[in-house]
Amino acid sequence: MPGSGAHGAAIDIALTDLGFEGMVHVTTVRAPVPRGRLRSVTPPRLPAGYRLILPQDIPGRNRIVSFGTEVPILAADRVSYKGEPVALIVGPDPLVADELARTTVVDCEEEDAVLSWESFSSEQVLAKRVVVVGDPDLAFSISDRTVDGVYRSGASEHLYSEPQGSIASFDYDKLAIWCATQWPYHVRDSVALALGCKDEEVVVRPTRLGVHMDGKLWYPSLLSCHAAIAAFLVRKPARIFLTREEDFRYTPKRARSSIALRAALDNSGRLAAIDARIAVNVGAYGPLAEETLSQVCLAAAGAYACPNLRVEGYAVATNDVPMGAFGGLGATHAFFAAEATSARLAQTAGLDPMAWKSLNVLKKGSPLITGEGLKEEPPYEAIAERLAAASDFGRKYACYELVRKRRSGRADGPLRGIGFAFAYQGAGAFLAGDSPNSYTVEVSLEKDLSLVIRTSAAACRESVRSIWKRTAALLLDIPVESVTVAPPDTDKAPNSGPVTLSRGLTVVNRLVEKACEKIQKQRFREPLPLTARSIYRVPRPIKWSDGRVEGMPFDMASWGGAVVEVELDPWTLEPRPMGVWLCVDGGLIVSKDRAEAALRAGAADAMGLCLREKLDIASGQVSEDEYLSYCLLQPAQLPPIFVDLYEPDRHVKSKGIGELPFDTVPAAFLQAVAQAAGAPFFSLPVGPEELSGAGDEA
Amino acid sequence: MTISFILNGEDVSLNARSYERLADVLRQRFGLLGVKADCRRGVCGKCLVLLDGRLAPSCILPVFRVRGREVITIEGFAQTDEYQDIAGGFSDAHLETCGFCETGKILVTAALLERRARPAPAEILDAMASVPCRCTDPEAIIKAVQAAADRRARRLYHRAGQ
Repeated sequence: MPGSGAHGAAIDIALTDLGFEGMVHVTTVRAPVPRGRLRSVTPPRLPAGYRLILPQDIPGRNRIVSFGTEVPILAADRVSYKGEPVALIVGPDPLVADELARTTVVDCEEEDAVLSWESFSSEQVLAKRVVVVGDPDLAFSISDRTVDGVYRSGASEHLYSEPQGSIASFDYDKLAIWCATQWPYHVRDSVALALGCKDEEVVVRPTRLGVHMDGKLWYPSLLSCHAAIAAFLVRKPARIFLTREEDFRYTPKRARSSIALRAALDNSGRLAAIDARIAVNVGAYGPLAEETLSQVCLAAAGAYACPNLRVEGYAVATNDVPMGAFGGLGATHAFFAAEATSARLAQTAGLDPMAWKSLNVLKKGSPLITGEGLKEEPPYEAIAERLAAASDFGRKYACYELVRKRRSGRADGPLRGIGFAFAYQGAGAFLAGDSPNSYTVEVSLEKDLSLVIRTSAAACRESVRSIWKRTAALLLDIPVESVTVAPPDTDKAPNSGPVTLSRGLTVVNRLVEKACEKIQKQRFREPLPLTARSIYRVPRPIKWSDGRVEGMPFDMASWGGAVVEVELDPWTLEPRPMGVWLCVDGGLIVSKDRAEAALRAGAADAMGLCLREKLDIASGQVSEDEYLSYCLLQPAQLPPIFVDLYEPDRHVKSKGIGELPFDTVPAAFLQAVAQAAGAPFFSLPVGPEELSGAGDEA
Repeated sequence: MTISFILNGEDVSLNARSYERLADVLRQRFGLLGVKADCRRGVCGKCLVLLDGRLAPSCILPVFRVRGREVITIEGFAQTDEYQDIAGGFSDAHLETCGFCETGKILVTAALLERRARPAPAEILDAMASVPCRCTDPEAIIKAVQAAADRRARRLYHRAGQ
C-alpha cells in the first residue's frame, strides 16, 4: 500500500495518501431518523475478518467533550440527528465494509423531530446570554425614529480540501492517530478518554489541513475515536475516511441564526439604543453552542457605539446535524444584522450611509458591551476615506439613488446599488473551558545556531509558519533559513490551542517572540543548546452573569471595511457584483502579497455566500439533492476584488484578518442589493426569486 | 480484462475489472498519489489527468476507456519543461494553495497554455472553474498563470533560437 509505514512528520501528507500494512477499514452505520429511541442494530451475516462495533464495545467513555458539551461517540439509546453514528463495521475491504454498513438494519422507534428553532421550548436551550447596558427601554420610549427587522443567516457547507477521516496505528507502546485537525490535543484527550488510557499513550500526528473554514475543530476527534476504538479492538491499524457525500450530509455545518434587531435614533441622528433577540440553531448536541452564542452576542451592536443595549441570546438545540463554526465562530452573524440595520438607520436619519456610519462607529472610549471603554482608536475614519476614494462611494450612492427614483421601467437598463460595511475582528479572545496554560510554545537554539519552533498549531498555513520563522530570525539575528518548525505531533510539540480565530498570528506568533526573547537573554551567558518555553496567560476571560458581561471581549482587534457594488439585470433580476473593495488595518503586515491574497480569497468565499451557497436542511437532514447541487461560485463570476492594507502604525503587532471579509462583504452586498431594488432584504443569498417579490419594478 | 496504455511515457498493461475507475487504478496499482479520488463525480478537479493531451477526470473514467491511449499524471508531467514553467510561474506569483487542488491547477494551466499561449484573465478564470476550491484568490491565480505563460514563451523563444 502506498505510504506504508510512514513515520514522523505528516503535516505535508494528505490523510488519503497514508496507509499501513494490514490496515482495516471502518465504515459508519448511521441513524435512519433524526430523533428516536434506538432498539437494535442488526448487521447481515458478517464474513470472516469483519466485525460490528457497538457502544458497549467502547473500552472507555462513550463521550467526547467539546467546549463543555458532550457528544456520544456512538449513539447508545437515543439518536439525535439523521446520520448520527450508531455502530461501526470494521474489515479489510472498504467496499465490503460499506456494503455491510449499508445493509445493517437500524431499528429505531421514531419520535417527532424537534426542528423549530426561531420559536423554541426551554428544553431546547443549551446556552443563554442576557446583557443590559444603560436603559434601552427609556431610550426607545423617547425616540420617535426606530427600525426593526429579523435578519437570518443560513447554513453553509465548509467544502474542505479533503473529506474528514482518521487513521489509528500502533507505534511501539503508543497508539498513533493521523488526522487533519485544527486541534491535535483535543484529538489526543478525546481518544484517551474513549480508550480509557493515559493521555501520554496516545500520539496525534496531524496531517495536511488544507481549507478548513473552522469546521475541523472537534469533529476530527470523533472520527479519531472511531478509528482508535476499531484499532484497539481488532489489534490492527484502522482507517476511517468519509466519502465526500457522507462528509457533506452528516458532518457539522455553519450554524443558522435569526437576529431580531430593533434600533432607535436620538434627535441628532445618533444610535441611541439596540434591542437584539438572538436565536442560534446549533443542531444536535451543540458542541460549539457556548462559544458561538458568546461571539454573536458580543458583536450584537456591530462596529457601533451604543449607550443603551439589550441583548438576549439563545443557543437552541434541534435534531438537525450539529452546527457551529464557519469562517470564525459566530461574529459574522451579528455583523450582518448590525450592518443591515445601520444602513436602514442611515436612511431614516436622512444621511448617506457612510456619513451615518462614520458618525456612529466605535471610537476611543466608546462603551463596549462589557461597559468598559474602548482603549485604542479604531482607524475607521481613515478606512472610510480610503474606501470612499477607491470605490467612488459617495458619488455612486447619490447617483444610484437618483437614477432609481427617476426610473421609468426596464428599458432604462440595469439597476445599480452600492453598499458599505464596517467590522472588527477580535483577537486573543479565549474559548469557554480554556485553561490558563493551554497556549504554550517551545523554542530551541541548537549548537549550530539552527532554531526549532515547537507548537501544536503548526498545522496552519505555510504563510503563517513563515511569519513565525521571520519573527524568530529577526529577534535572534540568525538567517531565516536556519529556522524550522517542528511537526505538530503531540509527543513533540506543546499544546498551543486550536488553530482558529487567526491565533497563529495573534497568540502563537507572540509566544514565539517571547520565547525567542528569553533565549536571547540567556544566549551569551549559557552554553548552547538552549530551550525556552513561553505560556500565554488569559488576560481577563469573559464572564456572563446576571444581565452583565465582564472582561475584555478581545485583547486587540483588527479593523476593516468593505464596499460592494451590484447591478441587477432588469429582466432576470440576476444580481451581478461589479466590484468589491476591502480596506483592513491588520497591524504589522509581514507579507503584503500573502495578506492580500488571503483577504481576496476570503472575499471570494464571502461573495459565494451572497450569491450561491445556500444549504437547505429540511426535515432534519441534508438531502442528496443538496449534495449534488451545492457548489462554489465560479472564479469567472467574481467581480474585481481590490484590497487595501492600511498600516497606520508599523510598531503594532500582527493581527488576524481572516474573518473580516466574512464580516463585511455579505453585509455590504445586502445593502447594495437593497439600494438597487429599493427595498430592504434580510437574508442571503439574494437571487432573482427573492428580488422578484420585492421593491421597485425592474 | 487486460488493458494496455501509455502511462507517463511508459507502456503498461494490467488486468482490471470493468467497474474499476482510472483514479483508483493509478493510486492503488501504480502508487501515483498525486491523483486524488475525492468527489467521485468528476467535479472537484483533484483527480485530473491528461488523456491524450486533454484534461480528463480520472475518478469517473472507467479504466477500459484508456486502452491504447496516453495518460499523463502530475508525476509524469512533473518531468517536463512545461511543468517547470508552470511551477516557476506559480512560485513567481507567490501563489499559495491549500495543497490539495494544486495538481488540478497545474494540469489545467498546462492544458490552457497548450491552447492559448497568452490567455486572457477571463479565460484563466473560466479554465480554473474545473478546480473549484475555497483557497483560490482569483487575482493570484491570474498572475500565476500569466507568469507561467511568460516563462513558457521565453523557453520556447530560446529553443527556437538554438
